[in-house]
Amino acid sequence: MNNIVLKTKGLTKYYGGTLAVDHMDLEIPRGCICGFVGRNGAGKTTAIKLMLGLLNPTAGSSRLLGCDSSALTPAIRQRIGYVTEGHRLFRWMNIGGLEKFQRAFFPKQWDDRFFADMIEYFELSKKQKIKHLSNGQRAQVSLALALAPNPELLIMDDPTLGLDAAIRRQFLEGMIELIMRQGRTVLFSSHILGDVERVSDRIVVIDKGVLRANCSLEQFQKAIKKVILSFADSVPDLVNIDGVLHCKRSEKQLELTLVGTDDEKISEWAKSAGAENYNIIKMNLEDQFIEFTAPANDRRLFQWEER
Amino acid sequence: MRFSKLLRKELRECLPWMLLAAIVFFAFGGFFLRAEAYFESDRHYSRLSPGTAVDYYWLTYYSILNVTGPWLFFLSIGLGLVLGVRQFWIPNFTRTWPFLLHRSVSRKTILAAKLTATMIAFVISLGPVWVGLYWYASRPEVFAVPQTLRVFIEGWIFIMLGLVAYLGTALSALSTANWYTTKIFGLLLATVIIVTTLSQWTLAGIFTSIAVSVAILLVQIFDTFLRREF
Repeated sequence: MNNIVLKTKGLTKYYGGTLAVDHMDLEIPRGCICGFVGRNGAGKTTAIKLMLGLLNPTAGSSRLLGCDSSALTPAIRQRIGYVTEGHRLFRWMNIGGLEKFQRAFFPKQWDDRFFADMIEYFELSKKQKIKHLSNGQRAQVSLALALAPNPELLIMDDPTLGLDAAIRRQFLEGMIELIMRQGRTVLFSSHILGDVERVSDRIVVIDKGVLRANCSLEQFQKAIKKVILSFADSVPDLVNIDGVLHCKRSEKQLELTLVGTDDEKISEWAKSAGAENYNIIKMNLEDQFIEFTAPANDRRLFQWEER
Repeated sequence: MRFSKLLRKELRECLPWMLLAAIVFFAFGGFFLRAEAYFESDRHYSRLSPGTAVDYYWLTYYSILNVTGPWLFFLSIGLGLVLGVRQFWIPNFTRTWPFLLHRSVSRKTILAAKLTATMIAFVISLGPVWVGLYWYASRPEVFAVPQTLRVFIEGWIFIMLGLVAYLGTALSALSTANWYTTKIFGLLLATVIIVTTLSQWTLAGIFTSIAVSVAILLVQIFDTFLRREF
Protein backbone atom coordinates (compact mmCIF):
# COMPACT_ATOMS: atom_id res chain seq x y z
CA MET A 1 0.00 0.00 0.00
CA ASN A 2 1.33 3.42 -0.95
CA ASN A 3 2.32 5.32 2.17
CA ILE A 4 1.77 8.74 0.64
CA VAL A 5 -1.90 9.73 0.45
CA LEU A 6 -1.43 13.21 -0.90
CA LYS A 7 1.29 14.43 -3.19
CA THR A 8 1.66 17.67 -5.09
CA LYS A 9 4.42 18.52 -7.48
CA GLY A 10 5.06 22.09 -8.58
CA LEU A 11 1.41 22.85 -7.93
CA THR A 12 0.75 26.40 -9.06
CA LYS A 13 -2.39 28.45 -9.40
CA TYR A 14 -2.85 31.94 -10.77
CA TYR A 15 -6.14 33.86 -10.62
CA GLY A 16 -5.60 36.22 -13.49
CA GLY A 17 -2.36 37.91 -12.55
CA THR A 18 -2.55 36.96 -8.88
CA LEU A 19 -0.44 34.08 -7.70
CA ALA A 20 -2.41 32.00 -5.18
CA VAL A 21 -0.30 28.85 -4.93
CA ASP A 22 3.32 28.86 -5.93
CA HIS A 23 5.07 25.65 -7.01
CA MET A 24 3.93 23.62 -4.03
CA ASP A 25 5.72 20.32 -3.51
CA LEU A 26 3.97 18.52 -0.71
CA GLU A 27 3.73 14.96 0.52
CA ILE A 28 1.42 13.82 3.30
CA PRO A 29 2.03 10.35 4.70
CA ARG A 30 -0.77 7.98 5.60
CA GLY A 31 -2.13 8.01 9.13
CA CYS A 32 -1.15 11.52 10.17
CA ILE A 33 -3.23 14.41 11.38
CA CYS A 34 -1.94 17.32 9.44
CA GLY A 35 -2.66 20.93 10.31
CA PHE A 36 -2.51 23.09 7.21
CA VAL A 37 -1.87 26.58 8.48
CA GLY A 38 -1.47 29.98 6.95
CA ARG A 39 -2.70 33.52 7.37
CA ASN A 40 -5.90 34.70 5.70
CA GLY A 41 -5.40 34.68 1.96
CA ALA A 42 -2.30 32.49 2.19
CA GLY A 43 -3.72 30.05 -0.37
CA LYS A 44 -5.03 27.27 1.89
CA THR A 45 -8.50 27.01 0.33
CA THR A 46 -7.11 27.26 -3.18
CA ALA A 47 -4.58 24.51 -2.44
CA ILE A 48 -7.29 22.26 -0.98
CA LYS A 49 -9.58 22.86 -3.94
CA LEU A 50 -6.71 22.06 -6.30
CA MET A 51 -6.05 18.84 -4.41
CA LEU A 52 -9.72 17.87 -4.70
CA GLY A 53 -9.90 18.69 -8.39
CA LEU A 54 -12.40 21.52 -7.87
CA LEU A 55 -9.92 23.95 -9.38
CA ASN A 56 -7.57 23.36 -12.29
CA PRO A 57 -3.89 24.06 -11.66
CA THR A 58 -2.07 26.59 -13.81
CA ALA A 59 0.99 24.34 -13.60
CA GLY A 60 2.08 21.25 -11.72
CA SER A 61 0.05 18.33 -10.53
CA SER A 62 -1.55 16.81 -7.48
CA ARG A 63 -2.39 13.24 -6.57
CA LEU A 64 -4.84 12.01 -3.94
CA LEU A 65 -4.77 8.34 -2.94
CA GLY A 66 -2.65 7.68 -6.02
CA CYS A 67 -5.10 9.28 -8.44
CA ASP A 68 -4.55 12.51 -10.34
CA SER A 69 -6.66 15.23 -8.71
CA SER A 70 -7.97 16.51 -12.02
CA ALA A 71 -9.40 13.08 -12.78
CA LEU A 72 -10.61 11.79 -9.42
CA THR A 73 -12.92 8.88 -10.07
CA PRO A 74 -16.18 8.41 -8.14
CA ALA A 75 -14.56 5.41 -6.41
CA ILE A 76 -11.67 7.55 -5.15
CA ARG A 77 -14.00 10.37 -4.08
CA GLN A 78 -15.90 7.80 -2.05
CA ARG A 79 -12.76 7.32 0.04
CA ILE A 80 -12.30 11.02 0.72
CA GLY A 81 -14.35 13.03 3.19
CA TYR A 82 -14.53 16.76 2.61
CA VAL A 83 -15.77 19.47 4.94
CA THR A 84 -16.24 22.62 2.90
CA GLU A 85 -15.27 26.08 4.04
CA GLY A 86 -18.16 27.73 5.87
CA HIS A 87 -20.06 24.41 6.05
CA ARG A 88 -22.23 25.22 3.07
CA LEU A 89 -25.04 22.67 2.97
CA PHE A 90 -28.44 22.61 1.27
CA ARG A 91 -30.42 25.00 3.43
CA TRP A 92 -33.87 23.65 2.64
CA MET A 93 -33.05 20.11 3.74
CA ASN A 94 -33.37 18.86 7.28
CA ILE A 95 -30.61 16.87 8.95
CA GLY A 96 -32.38 13.56 8.34
CA GLY A 97 -32.91 14.40 4.68
CA LEU A 98 -29.30 15.39 4.28
CA GLU A 99 -28.23 12.14 5.90
CA LYS A 100 -30.34 10.12 3.43
CA PHE A 101 -28.96 12.16 0.54
CA GLN A 102 -25.36 11.71 1.62
CA ARG A 103 -25.76 8.01 2.47
CA ALA A 104 -26.82 7.25 -1.12
CA PHE A 105 -23.29 8.10 -2.24
CA PHE A 106 -21.61 5.85 0.32
CA PRO A 107 -23.93 2.82 0.31
CA LYS A 108 -21.45 0.29 1.72
CA GLN A 109 -19.45 2.48 4.08
CA TRP A 110 -22.12 4.61 5.71
CA ASP A 111 -22.25 4.12 9.46
CA ASP A 112 -25.83 4.87 10.56
CA ARG A 113 -25.02 4.31 14.20
CA PHE A 114 -22.05 6.65 14.15
CA PHE A 115 -24.05 9.41 12.47
CA ALA A 116 -26.90 9.04 14.97
CA ASP A 117 -24.42 9.11 17.86
CA MET A 118 -22.72 12.23 16.54
CA ILE A 119 -26.05 14.02 16.10
CA GLU A 120 -27.06 13.02 19.61
CA TYR A 121 -23.67 14.05 21.00
CA PHE A 122 -24.06 17.47 19.41
CA GLU A 123 -27.61 17.68 20.80
CA LEU A 124 -29.22 18.07 17.41
CA SER A 125 -32.42 16.58 16.02
CA LYS A 126 -32.73 15.01 12.59
CA LYS A 127 -35.88 17.04 12.04
CA GLN A 128 -34.06 20.37 12.29
CA LYS A 129 -33.72 22.24 9.02
CA ILE A 130 -30.27 23.34 7.97
CA LYS A 131 -31.46 26.93 7.46
CA HIS A 132 -32.48 27.07 11.11
CA LEU A 133 -29.11 25.92 12.44
CA SER A 134 -26.43 28.20 13.79
CA ASN A 135 -23.00 28.33 12.20
CA GLY A 136 -21.65 26.00 14.89
CA GLN A 137 -24.47 23.51 14.46
CA ARG A 138 -23.93 23.46 10.71
CA ALA A 139 -20.28 22.74 11.37
CA GLN A 140 -21.30 19.80 13.54
CA VAL A 141 -23.65 18.41 10.90
CA SER A 142 -20.96 18.91 8.30
CA LEU A 143 -18.47 16.95 10.37
CA ALA A 144 -20.93 14.14 11.06
CA LEU A 145 -21.71 13.89 7.34
CA ALA A 146 -18.02 13.74 6.48
CA LEU A 147 -17.14 11.19 9.17
CA ALA A 148 -20.08 8.79 8.88
CA PRO A 149 -18.77 7.17 5.68
CA ASN A 150 -15.54 6.40 7.55
CA PRO A 151 -13.28 8.04 4.96
CA GLU A 152 -9.71 6.99 4.45
CA LEU A 153 -8.71 10.62 3.99
CA LEU A 154 -10.56 13.54 5.53
CA ILE A 155 -9.94 17.03 4.19
CA MET A 156 -11.42 19.95 6.08
CA ASP A 157 -11.23 23.54 4.97
CA ASP A 158 -11.09 25.80 8.01
CA PRO A 159 -13.69 23.73 9.87
CA THR A 160 -13.57 25.76 13.08
CA LEU A 161 -13.82 29.16 11.45
CA GLY A 162 -16.38 31.34 13.22
CA LEU A 163 -17.09 28.84 15.99
CA ASP A 164 -16.96 29.77 19.65
CA ALA A 165 -14.48 28.06 21.97
CA ALA A 166 -16.95 25.50 23.38
CA ILE A 167 -18.27 24.42 19.98
CA ARG A 168 -14.72 24.32 18.64
CA ARG A 169 -13.70 21.97 21.39
CA GLN A 170 -16.71 19.73 20.71
CA PHE A 171 -15.88 19.80 17.03
CA LEU A 172 -12.27 18.82 17.64
CA GLU A 173 -13.36 16.01 19.95
CA GLY A 174 -15.57 14.75 17.13
CA MET A 175 -12.56 14.86 14.88
CA ILE A 176 -10.58 12.84 17.34
CA GLU A 177 -13.23 10.10 16.92
CA LEU A 178 -11.96 9.64 13.42
CA ILE A 179 -8.35 10.02 14.38
CA MET A 180 -8.76 7.10 16.74
CA ARG A 181 -9.67 4.87 13.83
CA GLN A 182 -6.49 3.31 12.61
CA GLY A 183 -4.81 4.40 9.43
CA ARG A 184 -7.03 7.40 8.77
CA THR A 185 -5.42 10.57 7.48
CA VAL A 186 -6.72 14.04 8.23
CA LEU A 187 -5.71 17.28 6.58
CA PHE A 188 -7.35 20.33 8.02
CA SER A 189 -6.66 23.94 7.33
CA SER A 190 -6.87 26.49 10.08
CA HIS A 191 -5.47 29.73 11.28
CA ILE A 192 -6.25 28.86 14.88
CA LEU A 193 -2.96 27.49 16.08
CA GLY A 194 -4.43 26.20 19.33
CA ASP A 195 -6.57 23.76 17.35
CA VAL A 196 -3.60 22.58 15.36
CA GLU A 197 -1.55 22.14 18.51
CA ARG A 198 -4.33 20.15 20.18
CA VAL A 199 -4.93 17.56 17.48
CA SER A 200 -2.16 17.56 14.87
CA ASP A 201 0.98 15.56 14.70
CA ARG A 202 2.14 17.23 11.53
CA ILE A 203 2.16 20.82 10.34
CA VAL A 204 2.20 22.32 6.88
CA VAL A 205 2.75 26.09 6.70
CA ILE A 206 1.77 28.03 3.62
CA ASP A 207 2.47 31.72 3.25
CA LYS A 208 1.49 33.81 0.24
CA GLY A 209 1.06 30.63 -1.74
CA VAL A 210 4.53 29.33 -0.89
CA LEU A 211 4.97 26.16 1.13
CA ARG A 212 7.18 27.21 4.01
CA ALA A 213 7.21 24.14 6.22
CA ASN A 214 6.12 20.53 6.09
CA CYS A 215 7.28 18.54 9.09
CA SER A 216 6.14 17.00 12.32
CA LEU A 217 4.64 19.40 14.82
CA GLU A 218 7.33 18.48 17.30
CA GLN A 219 10.07 19.31 14.81
CA PHE A 220 8.47 22.66 14.02
CA GLN A 221 8.14 23.53 17.68
CA LYS A 222 11.77 22.59 18.35
CA ALA A 223 13.05 24.49 15.35
CA ILE A 224 11.75 27.95 16.16
CA LYS A 225 13.04 29.54 19.31
CA LYS A 226 13.70 32.87 20.89
CA VAL A 227 17.11 33.71 22.31
CA ILE A 228 17.80 36.68 24.56
CA LEU A 229 21.45 37.64 24.78
CA SER A 230 22.81 40.11 27.31
CA PHE A 231 25.96 42.11 26.67
CA ALA A 232 28.15 43.97 29.13
CA ASP A 233 28.85 46.89 26.80
CA SER A 234 26.90 47.26 23.65
CA VAL A 235 25.09 44.93 21.27
CA PRO A 236 27.23 43.93 18.24
CA ASP A 237 26.28 45.45 14.91
CA LEU A 238 26.62 42.27 12.93
CA VAL A 239 24.36 39.32 13.72
CA ASN A 240 26.03 36.67 11.62
CA ILE A 241 24.18 33.58 12.70
CA ASP A 242 22.07 31.40 10.40
CA GLY A 243 18.29 31.26 10.64
CA VAL A 244 17.46 34.70 12.00
CA LEU A 245 13.76 35.40 11.58
CA HIS A 246 13.56 38.44 13.76
CA CYS A 247 16.05 40.63 15.54
CA LYS A 248 15.25 43.19 18.21
CA ARG A 249 17.95 45.35 19.78
CA SER A 250 18.00 47.32 22.95
CA GLU A 251 20.96 48.96 24.62
CA LYS A 252 22.44 45.87 26.19
CA GLN A 253 20.16 43.13 24.97
CA LEU A 254 19.62 41.36 21.74
CA GLU A 255 16.46 39.38 21.15
CA LEU A 256 16.65 36.92 18.29
CA THR A 257 14.02 34.61 16.85
CA LEU A 258 15.79 31.78 15.13
CA VAL A 259 14.70 28.94 12.97
CA GLY A 260 16.54 25.67 12.53
CA THR A 261 19.53 26.81 14.55
CA ASP A 262 20.64 24.23 17.09
CA ASP A 263 21.55 25.08 20.64
CA GLU A 264 25.27 24.39 20.14
CA LYS A 265 25.51 26.95 17.34
CA ILE A 266 23.69 29.47 19.49
CA SER A 267 26.14 28.85 22.30
CA GLU A 268 29.16 29.21 19.99
CA TRP A 269 27.86 32.42 18.46
CA ALA A 270 26.96 33.90 21.84
CA LYS A 271 30.56 33.34 22.97
CA SER A 272 32.07 34.73 19.79
CA ALA A 273 29.82 37.79 19.95
CA GLY A 274 30.86 38.45 23.51
CA ALA A 275 27.51 37.89 25.21
CA GLU A 276 27.60 37.79 29.00
CA ASN A 277 24.82 35.25 29.06
CA TYR A 278 21.94 34.05 26.98
CA ASN A 279 18.55 32.43 27.52
CA ILE A 280 16.71 30.20 25.09
CA ILE A 281 13.01 30.78 25.53
CA LYS A 282 10.42 28.26 24.41
CA MET A 283 7.74 29.83 22.29
CA ASN A 284 4.16 28.74 21.88
CA LEU A 285 2.99 27.62 18.46
CA GLU A 286 1.08 30.81 17.75
CA ASP A 287 4.12 33.01 18.40
CA GLN A 288 6.29 30.67 16.37
CA PHE A 289 3.87 30.83 13.47
CA ILE A 290 3.59 34.62 13.63
CA GLU A 291 7.36 35.05 13.64
CA PHE A 292 7.79 32.45 10.94
CA THR A 293 5.31 34.08 8.58
CA ALA A 294 6.02 37.70 9.46
CA PRO A 295 6.12 39.92 6.34
CA ALA A 296 9.82 40.64 6.85
CA ASN A 297 10.48 36.93 6.48
CA ASP A 298 8.62 36.71 3.25
CA ARG A 299 10.21 34.07 1.08
CA ARG A 300 13.18 33.68 3.41
CA LEU A 301 13.04 30.10 2.43
CA PHE A 302 12.99 27.67 5.19
CA GLN A 303 11.46 24.54 3.91
CA TRP A 304 12.22 21.31 5.47
CA GLU A 305 10.83 17.90 5.08
CA GLU A 306 11.00 14.97 7.33
CA ARG A 307 13.11 12.42 5.52
CA MET B 1 -29.74 5.04 -6.88
CA ARG B 2 -27.26 7.91 -6.84
CA PHE B 3 -28.78 9.45 -9.96
CA SER B 4 -32.27 9.12 -8.53
CA LYS B 5 -31.14 10.80 -5.28
CA LEU B 6 -29.70 13.69 -7.25
CA LEU B 7 -32.82 13.83 -9.41
CA ARG B 8 -35.10 13.94 -6.37
CA LYS B 9 -33.02 16.70 -4.81
CA GLU B 10 -33.21 18.76 -8.00
CA LEU B 11 -36.93 18.13 -8.40
CA ARG B 12 -37.53 19.18 -4.82
CA GLU B 13 -35.68 22.43 -5.49
CA CYS B 14 -37.79 22.98 -8.64
CA LEU B 15 -41.07 22.06 -6.91
CA PRO B 16 -42.20 25.49 -5.61
CA TRP B 17 -41.67 27.07 -9.02
CA MET B 18 -43.31 24.18 -10.85
CA LEU B 19 -46.38 24.48 -8.68
CA LEU B 20 -46.49 28.24 -8.99
CA ALA B 21 -46.29 28.10 -12.79
CA ALA B 22 -48.97 25.38 -12.95
CA ILE B 23 -51.33 27.25 -10.63
CA VAL B 24 -50.90 30.60 -12.41
CA PHE B 25 -51.40 29.00 -15.83
CA PHE B 26 -54.43 27.06 -14.65
CA ALA B 27 -56.00 30.07 -12.97
CA PHE B 28 -55.38 32.75 -15.58
CA GLY B 29 -55.31 30.54 -18.68
CA GLY B 30 -58.48 28.85 -17.51
CA PHE B 31 -60.21 32.12 -16.68
CA PHE B 32 -59.46 33.77 -20.01
CA LEU B 33 -60.32 30.63 -21.90
CA ARG B 34 -63.73 30.52 -20.24
CA ALA B 35 -64.23 34.19 -21.00
CA GLU B 36 -63.24 33.68 -24.64
CA ALA B 37 -65.46 30.67 -24.94
CA TYR B 38 -68.49 32.61 -23.71
CA PHE B 39 -68.03 36.00 -25.27
CA GLU B 40 -65.51 36.03 -28.06
CA SER B 41 -65.31 32.92 -30.16
CA ASP B 42 -68.75 33.29 -31.70
CA ARG B 43 -67.80 36.76 -32.86
CA HIS B 44 -64.63 35.50 -34.57
CA TYR B 45 -66.51 32.65 -36.13
CA SER B 46 -69.23 34.93 -37.45
CA ARG B 47 -66.62 36.97 -39.37
CA LEU B 48 -66.24 34.09 -41.77
CA SER B 49 -68.45 34.46 -44.77
CA PRO B 50 -70.02 31.25 -46.03
CA GLY B 51 -67.69 29.30 -48.30
CA THR B 52 -64.51 30.89 -47.00
CA ALA B 53 -61.60 28.48 -47.02
CA VAL B 54 -60.45 27.91 -43.47
CA ASP B 55 -56.69 27.70 -43.37
CA TYR B 56 -54.31 26.75 -40.55
CA TYR B 57 -53.45 30.35 -39.84
CA TRP B 58 -57.06 31.24 -39.22
CA LEU B 59 -57.64 28.18 -37.05
CA THR B 60 -54.55 28.89 -35.01
CA TYR B 61 -55.20 32.56 -34.63
CA TYR B 62 -58.78 32.18 -33.41
CA SER B 63 -58.04 29.19 -31.24
CA ILE B 64 -57.28 28.44 -27.64
CA LEU B 65 -53.75 29.72 -28.39
CA ASN B 66 -55.16 33.18 -28.91
CA VAL B 67 -56.21 33.39 -25.29
CA THR B 68 -53.94 31.03 -23.38
CA GLY B 69 -50.89 31.17 -25.67
CA PRO B 70 -49.36 34.35 -24.20
CA TRP B 71 -49.82 32.98 -20.68
CA LEU B 72 -48.24 29.68 -21.64
CA PHE B 73 -45.39 31.37 -23.50
CA PHE B 74 -44.44 33.88 -20.81
CA LEU B 75 -44.90 31.43 -17.95
CA SER B 76 -42.78 28.89 -19.76
CA ILE B 77 -40.01 31.42 -20.42
CA GLY B 78 -40.30 32.64 -16.81
CA LEU B 79 -40.13 29.12 -15.43
CA GLY B 80 -37.05 28.44 -17.59
CA LEU B 81 -35.30 31.55 -16.30
CA VAL B 82 -36.19 30.82 -12.67
CA LEU B 83 -35.08 27.18 -12.82
CA GLY B 84 -31.85 28.16 -14.56
CA VAL B 85 -31.14 30.67 -11.82
CA ARG B 86 -32.16 28.21 -9.08
CA GLN B 87 -29.98 25.39 -10.34
CA PHE B 88 -26.92 27.18 -11.61
CA TRP B 89 -26.83 30.72 -10.25
CA ILE B 90 -27.91 30.32 -6.66
CA PRO B 91 -25.18 27.72 -5.84
CA ASN B 92 -22.60 30.33 -6.92
CA PHE B 93 -23.86 32.59 -4.14
CA THR B 94 -24.63 29.96 -1.51
CA ARG B 95 -21.29 28.30 -2.34
CA THR B 96 -22.78 24.83 -2.28
CA TRP B 97 -21.03 23.66 -5.45
CA PRO B 98 -18.08 22.03 -3.62
CA PHE B 99 -20.46 20.10 -1.33
CA LEU B 100 -22.51 18.93 -4.31
CA LEU B 101 -19.58 18.09 -6.56
CA HIS B 102 -17.41 16.17 -4.10
CA ARG B 103 -19.29 12.88 -4.15
CA SER B 104 -19.03 9.49 -5.71
CA VAL B 105 -20.59 10.39 -9.02
CA SER B 106 -19.17 12.06 -12.08
CA ARG B 107 -19.94 15.67 -12.91
CA LYS B 108 -21.78 14.40 -15.99
CA THR B 109 -24.23 12.55 -13.74
CA ILE B 110 -24.79 15.64 -11.59
CA LEU B 111 -25.48 17.77 -14.64
CA ALA B 112 -27.68 15.09 -16.22
CA ALA B 113 -29.76 15.01 -13.02
CA LYS B 114 -30.25 18.78 -13.19
CA LEU B 115 -31.29 18.73 -16.85
CA THR B 116 -33.57 15.73 -16.40
CA ALA B 117 -35.24 17.34 -13.38
CA THR B 118 -35.96 20.46 -15.39
CA MET B 119 -37.44 18.52 -18.30
CA ILE B 120 -39.66 16.65 -15.88
CA ALA B 121 -40.56 19.91 -14.15
CA PHE B 122 -41.73 21.47 -17.42
CA VAL B 123 -43.65 18.40 -18.52
CA ILE B 124 -45.45 17.85 -15.23
CA SER B 125 -46.18 21.47 -14.37
CA LEU B 126 -47.27 23.27 -17.54
CA GLY B 127 -47.90 20.12 -19.61
CA PRO B 128 -50.95 18.70 -17.80
CA VAL B 129 -52.57 22.15 -17.52
CA TRP B 130 -52.08 22.72 -21.23
CA VAL B 131 -53.51 19.29 -22.05
CA GLY B 132 -56.45 19.97 -19.73
CA LEU B 133 -57.21 23.37 -21.22
CA TYR B 134 -56.88 22.01 -24.75
CA TRP B 135 -59.23 19.17 -23.89
CA TYR B 136 -61.69 21.65 -22.43
CA ALA B 137 -61.52 23.93 -25.46
CA SER B 138 -61.94 20.98 -27.82
CA ARG B 139 -65.33 20.10 -26.42
CA PRO B 140 -67.87 21.12 -29.09
CA GLU B 141 -70.13 23.02 -26.76
CA VAL B 142 -67.37 25.20 -25.30
CA PHE B 143 -65.50 26.81 -28.18
CA ALA B 144 -67.00 27.76 -31.49
CA VAL B 145 -63.79 27.11 -33.42
CA PRO B 146 -62.47 23.56 -33.74
CA GLN B 147 -59.09 22.99 -32.12
CA THR B 148 -56.51 21.42 -34.38
CA LEU B 149 -53.56 19.15 -33.62
CA ARG B 150 -51.32 21.96 -34.82
CA VAL B 151 -52.64 24.18 -32.04
CA PHE B 152 -51.93 21.45 -29.52
CA ILE B 153 -48.35 21.02 -30.82
CA GLU B 154 -47.75 24.76 -30.75
CA GLY B 155 -48.58 24.77 -27.07
CA TRP B 156 -45.86 22.21 -26.55
CA ILE B 157 -43.50 24.33 -28.63
CA PHE B 158 -44.06 27.17 -26.16
CA ILE B 159 -43.16 24.77 -23.36
CA MET B 160 -40.00 23.76 -25.25
CA LEU B 161 -39.07 27.42 -25.61
CA GLY B 162 -39.09 27.60 -21.82
CA LEU B 163 -36.48 24.85 -21.82
CA VAL B 164 -34.43 26.92 -24.27
CA ALA B 165 -34.61 29.87 -21.86
CA TYR B 166 -33.51 27.52 -19.05
CA LEU B 167 -30.52 26.27 -21.02
CA GLY B 168 -29.50 29.81 -21.94
CA THR B 169 -29.69 30.90 -18.30
CA ALA B 170 -27.73 27.83 -17.22
CA LEU B 171 -24.97 28.56 -19.72
CA SER B 172 -24.73 32.19 -18.65
CA ALA B 173 -24.70 31.20 -14.97
CA LEU B 174 -21.93 28.67 -15.53
CA SER B 175 -19.76 31.02 -17.53
CA THR B 176 -17.03 32.67 -15.50
CA ALA B 177 -16.48 35.40 -18.07
CA ASN B 178 -17.44 39.01 -17.53
CA TRP B 179 -20.99 40.18 -18.19
CA TYR B 180 -19.94 42.38 -21.06
CA THR B 181 -18.14 39.51 -22.80
CA THR B 182 -19.15 35.90 -23.33
CA LYS B 183 -21.13 35.40 -20.12
CA ILE B 184 -24.15 36.90 -21.84
CA PHE B 185 -23.78 34.44 -24.76
CA GLY B 186 -26.14 31.83 -23.27
CA LEU B 187 -29.01 34.23 -22.68
CA LEU B 188 -28.39 35.95 -26.00
CA LEU B 189 -28.43 32.68 -27.92
CA ALA B 190 -31.61 31.59 -26.13
CA THR B 191 -33.29 34.89 -27.09
CA VAL B 192 -32.24 34.49 -30.72
CA ILE B 193 -33.56 30.92 -30.77
CA ILE B 194 -36.88 31.98 -29.28
CA VAL B 195 -37.34 34.85 -31.74
CA THR B 196 -36.27 32.65 -34.66
CA THR B 197 -38.66 29.91 -33.61
CA LEU B 198 -41.58 32.29 -33.20
CA SER B 199 -40.96 33.68 -36.67
CA GLN B 200 -41.08 30.23 -38.29
CA TRP B 201 -44.33 28.97 -39.66
CA THR B 202 -43.73 25.34 -40.66
CA LEU B 203 -43.42 22.80 -37.89
CA ALA B 204 -40.36 21.33 -39.61
CA GLY B 205 -38.68 24.74 -39.48
CA ILE B 206 -39.61 25.24 -35.86
CA PHE B 207 -38.37 21.85 -34.74
CA THR B 208 -35.18 22.14 -36.77
CA SER B 209 -34.36 25.54 -35.29
CA ILE B 210 -35.08 24.31 -31.74
CA ALA B 211 -33.17 21.04 -32.16
CA VAL B 212 -30.06 22.66 -33.64
CA SER B 213 -29.99 25.43 -31.06
CA VAL B 214 -30.63 23.15 -28.09
CA ALA B 215 -27.83 20.88 -29.31
CA ILE B 216 -25.45 23.86 -29.40
CA LEU B 217 -26.50 24.98 -25.92
CA LEU B 218 -26.21 21.47 -24.47
CA VAL B 219 -22.72 20.93 -25.89
CA GLN B 220 -21.65 24.28 -24.46
CA ILE B 221 -23.22 23.57 -21.05
CA PHE B 222 -21.64 20.12 -20.72
CA ASP B 223 -18.26 21.43 -21.80
CA THR B 224 -18.42 24.39 -19.41
CA PHE B 225 -19.70 22.34 -16.48
CA LEU B 226 -17.11 19.59 -16.85
CA ARG B 227 -14.19 22.01 -17.12
CA ARG B 228 -15.36 24.79 -14.83
CA GLU B 229 -13.70 25.57 -11.53
CA PHE B 230 -15.92 25.63 -8.47
